[in-house]
Amino acid sequence: MNERPMTSAPVETDDELLLRMQSGDEEAFLTLYRRRQAGLFRFALHMSGSMPVAEDVTQEVFLALLREDCGYAPDRGTLSGYLFGIARKLVLRHLDRGRLDVVLDTDSDDFAQPELAVLDDPLLDLTRREGIDALRRAVQALPRRYREVVVLCDLEEVDYADAAVALGCPIGTVRSRLHRARGLLLEKLHQERNPRQALGTLKPVRCV
Amino acid sequence: MNCQEFWNTIPELGDCESSRHLLECPACAARMSRHRELEAGFRAVAAGFRRVEAPPRVEARLRSAFRRQTGSESRAPSRRWIPVVTWAAAFAAMFALAAFLVRDRQPEAARPPVQRTIELAMLQPQADYDGFIPLPNSAGVAADDAADGDDVNLVRVEVPRSAMIALGLDVSADREEELVEADILLGSNGIARAVRFLD
Repeated sequence: MNERPMTSAPVETDDELLLRMQSGDEEAFLTLYRRRQAGLFRFALHMSGSMPVAEDVTQEVFLALLREDCGYAPDRGTLSGYLFGIARKLVLRHLDRGRLDVVLDTDSDDFAQPELAVLDDPLLDLTRREGIDALRRAVQALPRRYREVVVLCDLEEVDYADAAVALGCPIGTVRSRLHRARGLLLEKLHQERNPRQALGTLKPVRCV
Repeated sequence: MNCQEFWNTIPELGDCESSRHLLECPACAARMSRHRELEAGFRAVAAGFRRVEAPPRVEARLRSAFRRQTGSESRAPSRRWIPVVTWAAAFAAMFALAAFLVRDRQPEAARPPVQRTIELAMLQPQADYDGFIPLPNSAGVAADDAADGDDVNLVRVEVPRSAMIALGLDVSADREEELVEADILLGSNGIARAVRFLD
Protein backbone atom coordinates (compact mmCIF):
# COMPACT_ATOMS: atom_id res chain seq x y z
CA MET A 1 0.00 0.00 0.00
CA ASN A 2 1.22 3.46 -0.83
CA GLU A 3 -0.88 5.52 1.51
CA ARG A 4 1.88 7.60 3.04
CA PRO A 5 1.47 9.99 5.94
CA MET A 6 1.48 13.69 5.10
CA THR A 7 3.62 14.75 8.02
CA SER A 8 7.19 13.95 8.85
CA ALA A 9 6.33 13.02 12.41
CA PRO A 10 6.99 9.39 13.28
CA VAL A 11 4.00 7.33 12.42
CA GLU A 12 2.92 4.32 14.35
CA THR A 13 3.11 1.05 12.50
CA ASP A 14 0.04 -1.06 11.96
CA ASP A 15 1.24 -3.49 14.59
CA GLU A 16 1.68 -0.73 17.16
CA LEU A 17 -1.79 0.55 16.43
CA LEU A 18 -3.17 -2.97 16.73
CA LEU A 19 -1.58 -3.37 20.16
CA ARG A 20 -3.06 -0.10 21.37
CA MET A 21 -6.39 -1.03 19.84
CA GLN A 22 -6.40 -4.35 21.64
CA SER A 23 -5.82 -2.54 24.92
CA GLY A 24 -9.00 -0.57 24.31
CA ASP A 25 -7.70 2.54 22.53
CA GLU A 26 -10.48 3.64 20.20
CA GLU A 27 -8.36 6.27 18.50
CA ALA A 28 -5.82 3.63 17.51
CA PHE A 29 -8.59 1.50 16.06
CA LEU A 30 -9.96 4.39 14.04
CA THR A 31 -6.49 5.35 12.83
CA LEU A 32 -5.89 1.82 11.66
CA TYR A 33 -9.30 1.71 10.01
CA ARG A 34 -8.79 4.99 8.19
CA ARG A 35 -5.39 3.89 7.02
CA ARG A 36 -6.53 0.58 5.56
CA GLN A 37 -10.22 0.81 4.72
CA ALA A 38 -9.98 2.40 1.28
CA GLY A 39 -7.67 -0.22 -0.19
CA LEU A 40 -9.78 -3.03 1.23
CA PHE A 41 -12.98 -1.43 -0.01
CA ARG A 42 -11.60 -0.95 -3.52
CA PHE A 43 -10.25 -4.49 -3.59
CA ALA A 44 -13.68 -5.86 -2.68
CA LEU A 45 -15.31 -3.54 -5.19
CA HIS A 46 -13.03 -4.59 -8.05
CA MET A 47 -13.47 -8.22 -7.17
CA SER A 48 -17.23 -8.24 -6.66
CA GLY A 49 -18.38 -5.34 -8.82
CA SER A 50 -20.84 -4.49 -6.06
CA MET A 51 -20.77 -1.51 -3.71
CA PRO A 52 -22.94 -3.19 -1.02
CA VAL A 53 -20.71 -6.23 -1.06
CA ALA A 54 -17.60 -4.06 -0.81
CA GLU A 55 -19.16 -2.22 2.13
CA ASP A 56 -20.07 -5.45 3.91
CA VAL A 57 -16.67 -6.93 3.32
CA THR A 58 -14.83 -3.87 4.65
CA GLN A 59 -16.95 -3.86 7.77
CA GLU A 60 -16.54 -7.59 8.33
CA VAL A 61 -12.77 -7.38 7.96
CA PHE A 62 -12.47 -4.92 10.84
CA LEU A 63 -15.05 -6.73 12.94
CA ALA A 64 -12.88 -9.81 12.55
CA LEU A 65 -9.91 -7.78 13.69
CA LEU A 66 -11.82 -6.78 16.83
CA ARG A 67 -12.15 -10.39 17.89
CA GLU A 68 -9.54 -11.55 20.34
CA ASP A 69 -8.83 -14.69 18.35
CA CYS A 70 -8.50 -12.87 15.04
CA GLY A 71 -5.58 -15.09 14.09
CA TYR A 72 -3.12 -12.41 13.06
CA ALA A 73 0.51 -13.47 13.55
CA PRO A 74 3.17 -10.81 12.79
CA ASP A 75 5.75 -13.48 12.04
CA ARG A 76 3.67 -14.74 9.12
CA GLY A 77 3.30 -11.41 7.33
CA THR A 78 2.15 -7.85 7.66
CA LEU A 79 -1.18 -6.77 9.03
CA SER A 80 -2.03 -5.30 5.64
CA GLY A 81 -1.55 -8.65 3.93
CA TYR A 82 -3.57 -10.32 6.65
CA LEU A 83 -6.46 -7.87 6.21
CA PHE A 84 -6.44 -8.36 2.44
CA GLY A 85 -6.51 -12.09 3.06
CA ILE A 86 -9.66 -11.77 5.16
CA ALA A 87 -11.22 -9.50 2.56
CA ARG A 88 -10.41 -11.99 -0.18
CA LYS A 89 -12.05 -14.85 1.68
CA LEU A 90 -15.14 -12.79 2.35
CA VAL A 91 -15.39 -11.67 -1.27
CA LEU A 92 -15.01 -15.21 -2.55
CA ARG A 93 -17.72 -16.30 -0.14
CA HIS A 94 -20.01 -13.63 -1.54
CA LEU A 95 -19.15 -14.65 -5.07
CA ASP A 96 -19.79 -18.30 -4.36
CA ARG A 97 -23.06 -17.53 -2.63
CA GLY A 98 -24.48 -15.11 -5.14
CA ARG A 99 -22.40 -15.85 -8.20
CA LEU A 100 -21.58 -12.18 -8.50
CA ASP A 101 -19.09 -12.58 -11.30
CA VAL A 102 -20.63 -9.66 -13.11
CA VAL A 103 -19.38 -6.47 -14.60
CA LEU A 104 -19.05 -3.58 -12.17
CA ASP A 105 -22.46 -2.05 -11.78
CA THR A 106 -21.69 1.57 -12.55
CA ASP A 107 -25.33 2.43 -13.24
CA SER A 108 -26.62 1.77 -9.78
CA ASP A 109 -27.62 4.73 -7.66
CA ASP A 110 -25.10 4.11 -4.93
CA PHE A 111 -22.15 4.04 -7.25
CA ALA A 112 -20.43 7.36 -7.74
CA GLN A 113 -18.38 7.26 -10.91
CA PRO A 114 -14.79 7.88 -9.86
CA GLU A 115 -13.19 10.99 -11.19
CA LEU A 116 -10.51 10.17 -13.67
CA ALA A 117 -7.22 11.98 -13.97
CA VAL A 118 -7.63 15.52 -15.24
CA LEU A 119 -6.69 15.85 -18.88
CA ASP A 120 -6.73 19.02 -20.90
CA ASP A 121 -7.49 17.48 -24.27
CA PRO A 122 -11.16 16.34 -24.38
CA LEU A 123 -10.46 14.01 -27.27
CA LEU A 124 -7.52 12.53 -25.47
CA ASP A 125 -9.67 12.36 -22.33
CA LEU A 126 -12.37 10.48 -24.20
CA THR A 127 -9.87 8.14 -25.72
CA ARG A 128 -8.25 7.61 -22.39
CA ARG A 129 -11.54 7.12 -20.62
CA GLU A 130 -12.61 4.54 -23.14
CA GLY A 131 -9.29 2.80 -22.76
CA ILE A 132 -9.60 2.81 -19.02
CA ASP A 133 -13.12 1.46 -19.17
CA ALA A 134 -11.98 -1.25 -21.52
CA LEU A 135 -9.16 -2.17 -19.18
CA ARG A 136 -11.49 -2.23 -16.19
CA ARG A 137 -13.89 -4.49 -18.01
CA ALA A 138 -11.05 -6.73 -19.06
CA VAL A 139 -9.83 -7.00 -15.46
CA GLN A 140 -13.28 -7.97 -14.27
CA ALA A 141 -13.61 -10.55 -16.99
CA LEU A 142 -10.46 -12.30 -15.81
CA PRO A 143 -10.79 -15.60 -13.97
CA ARG A 144 -10.78 -15.02 -10.21
CA ARG A 145 -7.28 -16.30 -9.56
CA TYR A 146 -5.86 -13.81 -12.07
CA ARG A 147 -8.25 -11.00 -11.24
CA GLU A 148 -7.35 -10.98 -7.55
CA VAL A 149 -3.64 -10.80 -8.19
CA VAL A 150 -4.04 -7.97 -10.73
CA VAL A 151 -6.29 -6.01 -8.37
CA LEU A 152 -3.89 -6.47 -5.48
CA CYS A 153 -0.57 -5.90 -7.21
CA ASP A 154 -1.39 -3.66 -10.16
CA LEU A 155 -4.34 -1.62 -8.97
CA GLU A 156 -3.77 -1.45 -5.22
CA GLU A 157 0.00 -1.71 -5.50
CA VAL A 158 0.29 -4.26 -2.73
CA ASP A 159 3.80 -5.70 -2.73
CA TYR A 160 4.32 -9.29 -3.68
CA ALA A 161 5.04 -10.45 -0.15
CA ASP A 162 1.76 -9.04 1.17
CA ALA A 163 -0.08 -10.38 -1.86
CA ALA A 164 1.34 -13.82 -1.16
CA VAL A 165 0.05 -13.60 2.42
CA ALA A 166 -3.35 -12.44 1.22
CA LEU A 167 -3.65 -15.13 -1.42
CA GLY A 168 -2.10 -17.84 0.71
CA CYS A 169 0.46 -18.85 -1.88
CA PRO A 170 4.21 -18.44 -2.46
CA ILE A 171 5.60 -15.27 -3.95
CA GLY A 172 6.64 -17.20 -7.04
CA THR A 173 3.02 -18.10 -7.64
CA VAL A 174 2.07 -14.46 -7.34
CA ARG A 175 4.63 -13.56 -9.98
CA SER A 176 3.59 -16.27 -12.38
CA ARG A 177 -0.12 -15.52 -12.01
CA LEU A 178 0.53 -11.85 -12.50
CA HIS A 179 2.53 -12.54 -15.62
CA ARG A 180 -0.20 -14.76 -16.99
CA ALA A 181 -2.91 -12.26 -16.05
CA ARG A 182 -1.15 -9.43 -17.83
CA GLY A 183 -0.80 -11.58 -20.91
CA LEU A 184 -4.51 -12.36 -20.84
CA LEU A 185 -5.35 -8.68 -20.45
CA LEU A 186 -3.17 -7.67 -23.38
CA GLU A 187 -4.76 -10.34 -25.51
CA LYS A 188 -8.24 -9.24 -24.49
CA LEU A 189 -7.55 -5.56 -25.15
CA HIS A 190 -5.95 -6.38 -28.47
CA GLN A 191 -9.06 -8.29 -29.48
CA GLU A 192 -11.28 -5.37 -28.53
CA ARG A 193 -9.20 -2.95 -30.55
CA ASN A 194 -8.96 -5.24 -33.55
CA PRO A 195 -12.14 -7.29 -33.67
CA ARG A 196 -11.68 -8.25 -37.32
CA GLN A 197 -8.18 -9.44 -36.65
CA ALA A 198 -9.45 -11.34 -33.68
CA LEU A 199 -12.15 -12.96 -35.78
CA GLY A 200 -9.53 -13.77 -38.38
CA THR A 201 -7.77 -15.91 -35.88
CA LEU A 202 -10.77 -18.22 -35.80
CA LYS A 203 -10.38 -20.98 -38.33
CA PRO A 204 -13.68 -22.67 -39.10
CA VAL A 205 -13.31 -26.33 -39.69
CA ARG A 206 -16.70 -27.03 -41.11
CA CYS A 207 -19.88 -25.12 -41.87
CA VAL A 208 -23.07 -26.44 -40.35
CA MET B 1 19.86 -14.24 -23.10
CA ASN B 2 17.03 -15.43 -25.29
CA CYS B 3 13.46 -14.14 -25.26
CA GLN B 4 12.19 -16.80 -22.88
CA GLU B 5 14.95 -16.14 -20.40
CA PHE B 6 14.32 -12.43 -20.64
CA TRP B 7 10.65 -12.70 -19.77
CA ASN B 8 11.37 -15.21 -17.05
CA THR B 9 13.82 -12.91 -15.33
CA ILE B 10 11.81 -9.70 -15.22
CA PRO B 11 9.98 -9.65 -11.93
CA GLU B 12 8.37 -6.33 -12.61
CA LEU B 13 7.83 -4.18 -15.62
CA GLY B 14 10.28 -1.47 -14.58
CA ASP B 15 13.19 -3.79 -14.09
CA CYS B 16 13.83 -4.24 -17.77
CA GLU B 17 14.61 -0.63 -18.60
CA SER B 18 18.27 -1.17 -18.96
CA SER B 19 18.04 -4.56 -20.45
CA ARG B 20 20.18 -5.00 -23.46
CA HIS B 21 17.86 -7.66 -24.83
CA LEU B 22 15.20 -5.13 -25.70
CA LEU B 23 17.60 -3.32 -27.94
CA GLU B 24 18.46 -6.52 -29.72
CA CYS B 25 14.96 -8.03 -30.05
CA PRO B 26 12.22 -5.97 -31.76
CA ALA B 27 9.54 -8.51 -30.85
CA CYS B 28 10.29 -8.31 -27.17
CA ALA B 29 10.58 -4.53 -27.43
CA ALA B 30 7.09 -4.35 -28.92
CA ARG B 31 5.75 -6.69 -26.30
CA MET B 32 7.40 -4.65 -23.59
CA SER B 33 5.87 -1.52 -25.02
CA ARG B 34 2.42 -3.07 -24.69
CA HIS B 35 3.21 -4.02 -21.12
CA ARG B 36 4.17 -0.43 -20.39
CA GLU B 37 0.89 0.74 -21.86
CA LEU B 38 -0.86 -1.75 -19.66
CA GLU B 39 1.02 -0.49 -16.65
CA ALA B 40 -0.03 3.06 -17.51
CA GLY B 41 -3.60 1.83 -17.84
CA PHE B 42 -3.43 0.27 -14.38
CA ARG B 43 -2.21 3.55 -12.95
CA ALA B 44 -5.07 5.38 -14.64
CA VAL B 45 -7.67 2.94 -13.33
CA ALA B 46 -6.17 3.15 -9.85
CA ALA B 47 -6.20 6.94 -10.06
CA GLY B 48 -9.85 6.87 -11.05
CA PHE B 49 -10.69 4.84 -7.95
CA ARG B 50 -8.32 6.63 -5.63
CA ARG B 51 -11.10 8.58 -3.94
CA VAL B 52 -13.37 5.59 -3.67
CA GLU B 53 -13.61 4.39 -0.11
CA ALA B 54 -16.06 2.90 2.32
CA PRO B 55 -19.01 5.14 3.23
CA PRO B 56 -18.82 6.94 6.59
CA ARG B 57 -21.57 4.73 8.01
CA VAL B 58 -19.12 1.81 8.06
CA GLU B 59 -16.80 3.72 10.37
CA ALA B 60 -19.74 4.68 12.57
CA ARG B 61 -20.85 1.06 12.86
CA LEU B 62 -17.35 -0.11 13.64
CA ARG B 63 -16.90 2.60 16.24
CA SER B 64 -20.09 1.42 17.94
CA ALA B 65 -18.92 -2.16 17.77
CA PHE B 66 -15.58 -1.22 19.26
CA ARG B 67 -17.25 0.66 22.11
CA ARG B 68 -19.56 -2.24 22.80
CA GLN B 69 -16.61 -4.58 22.93
CA THR B 70 -14.43 -2.43 25.13
CA GLY B 71 -17.42 -1.71 27.31
CA SER B 72 -18.05 -5.39 27.79
CA GLU B 73 -14.37 -5.90 28.53
CA SER B 74 -14.46 -3.28 31.29
CA ARG B 75 -17.44 -5.02 32.78
CA ALA B 76 -15.72 -8.36 32.57
CA PRO B 77 -14.06 -8.25 36.02
CA SER B 78 -17.40 -7.59 37.72
CA ARG B 79 -18.92 -10.45 35.78
CA ARG B 80 -16.47 -12.80 37.42
CA TRP B 81 -18.25 -12.13 40.73
CA ILE B 82 -21.64 -13.04 39.39
CA PRO B 83 -21.35 -16.80 40.11
CA VAL B 84 -19.94 -16.09 43.57
CA VAL B 85 -22.75 -13.73 44.44
CA THR B 86 -25.30 -16.15 43.03
CA TRP B 87 -24.00 -19.06 45.09
CA ALA B 88 -23.77 -16.90 48.19
CA ALA B 89 -27.36 -15.77 47.74
CA ALA B 90 -28.48 -19.36 47.21
CA PHE B 91 -26.73 -20.53 50.36
CA ALA B 92 -28.16 -17.64 52.36
CA ALA B 93 -31.65 -18.46 51.16
CA MET B 94 -31.21 -22.13 52.00
CA PHE B 95 -29.88 -21.28 55.45
CA ALA B 96 -32.78 -18.94 56.15
CA LEU B 97 -35.30 -21.53 55.03
CA ALA B 98 -33.68 -24.21 57.16
CA ALA B 99 -33.63 -21.94 60.22
CA PHE B 100 -37.26 -21.06 59.69
CA LEU B 101 -38.30 -24.70 59.44
CA VAL B 102 -36.27 -25.75 62.47
CA ARG B 103 -37.60 -22.89 64.55
CA ASP B 104 -41.17 -23.73 63.62
CA ARG B 105 -40.82 -27.42 64.22
CA GLN B 106 -39.02 -27.37 67.54
CA PRO B 107 -41.99 -26.05 69.58
CA GLU B 108 -44.24 -28.39 67.66
CA ALA B 109 -42.05 -31.35 68.52
CA ALA B 110 -41.86 -30.29 72.17
CA ARG B 111 -45.56 -29.66 72.37
CA PRO B 112 -47.35 -32.41 74.35
CA PRO B 113 -49.85 -34.39 72.36
CA VAL B 114 -53.31 -33.01 72.75
CA GLN B 115 -55.39 -35.41 74.71
CA ARG B 116 -58.97 -34.52 74.95
CA THR B 117 -59.75 -36.53 78.06
CA ILE B 118 -56.50 -36.97 79.86
CA GLU B 119 -54.67 -34.50 82.04
CA LEU B 120 -51.34 -35.50 83.33
CA ALA B 121 -50.20 -34.07 86.60
CA MET B 122 -47.69 -34.78 89.20
CA LEU B 123 -49.41 -35.81 92.38
CA GLN B 124 -48.25 -35.33 95.86
CA PRO B 125 -48.68 -38.93 97.00
CA GLN B 126 -50.00 -38.27 100.45
CA ALA B 127 -52.30 -35.42 99.53
CA ASP B 128 -54.98 -36.70 97.19
CA TYR B 129 -55.39 -40.39 97.85
CA ASP B 130 -58.91 -40.01 99.30
CA GLY B 131 -61.75 -41.58 97.35
CA PHE B 132 -59.57 -43.90 95.27
CA ILE B 133 -60.70 -47.41 94.74
CA PRO B 134 -57.79 -49.84 94.72
CA LEU B 135 -57.59 -51.93 91.59
CA PRO B 136 -57.20 -55.72 91.93
CA ASN B 137 -53.44 -55.68 91.30
CA SER B 138 -52.73 -52.66 93.48
CA ALA B 139 -50.86 -54.64 96.18
CA GLY B 140 -48.21 -55.97 93.79
CA VAL B 141 -47.96 -52.67 92.04
CA ALA B 142 -47.48 -50.87 95.35
CA ALA B 143 -44.63 -53.22 96.25
CA ASP B 144 -42.91 -52.48 92.91
CA ASP B 145 -43.45 -48.75 93.32
CA ALA B 146 -41.99 -48.85 96.82
CA ALA B 147 -38.86 -50.38 95.34
CA ASP B 148 -38.77 -47.58 92.70
CA GLY B 149 -39.23 -44.84 95.31
CA ASP B 150 -43.02 -44.65 95.34
CA ASP B 151 -43.33 -42.17 92.52
CA VAL B 152 -46.93 -42.04 91.19
CA ASN B 153 -48.79 -40.06 88.56
CA LEU B 154 -52.38 -38.95 88.44
CA VAL B 155 -54.17 -39.07 85.13
CA ARG B 156 -57.65 -37.70 84.57
CA VAL B 157 -59.67 -39.52 81.96
CA GLU B 158 -63.21 -39.93 80.74
CA VAL B 159 -64.50 -43.45 80.89
CA PRO B 160 -67.93 -44.99 80.32
CA ARG B 161 -70.04 -45.47 83.41
CA SER B 162 -70.00 -49.21 82.65
CA ALA B 163 -66.44 -49.15 84.07
CA MET B 164 -67.98 -48.24 87.45
CA ILE B 165 -70.14 -51.37 87.23
CA ALA B 166 -67.02 -53.44 86.74
CA LEU B 167 -65.71 -52.06 90.07
CA GLY B 168 -68.95 -52.96 91.88
CA LEU B 169 -70.57 -49.50 91.94
CA ASP B 170 -74.25 -49.10 91.33
CA VAL B 171 -74.94 -47.55 87.94
CA SER B 172 -78.21 -47.38 86.08
CA ALA B 173 -78.21 -49.62 83.04
CA ASP B 174 -79.62 -46.93 80.75
CA ARG B 175 -76.73 -44.60 81.62
CA GLU B 176 -73.91 -47.06 81.12
CA GLU B 177 -72.99 -45.43 77.80
CA GLU B 178 -72.43 -42.02 79.38
CA LEU B 179 -68.96 -40.77 80.03
CA VAL B 180 -67.75 -39.94 83.47
CA GLU B 181 -64.54 -38.29 84.58
CA ALA B 182 -62.12 -40.34 86.63
CA ASP B 183 -58.67 -39.99 88.09
CA ILE B 184 -56.37 -42.92 87.62
CA LEU B 185 -53.39 -43.34 89.86
CA LEU B 186 -50.45 -44.69 87.86
CA GLY B 187 -47.35 -46.15 89.27
CA SER B 188 -43.92 -45.18 88.02
CA ASN B 189 -44.01 -48.27 85.83
CA GLY B 190 -47.17 -46.96 84.10
CA ILE B 191 -49.52 -49.57 85.61
CA ALA B 192 -52.80 -48.28 87.09
CA ARG B 193 -53.03 -48.70 90.88
CA ALA B 194 -56.35 -47.05 91.77
CA VAL B 195 -59.19 -45.11 90.28
CA ARG B 196 -61.48 -42.33 91.56
CA PHE B 197 -64.72 -41.36 89.88
CA LEU B 198 -65.49 -37.65 90.07
CA ASP B 199 -69.16 -37.76 89.29
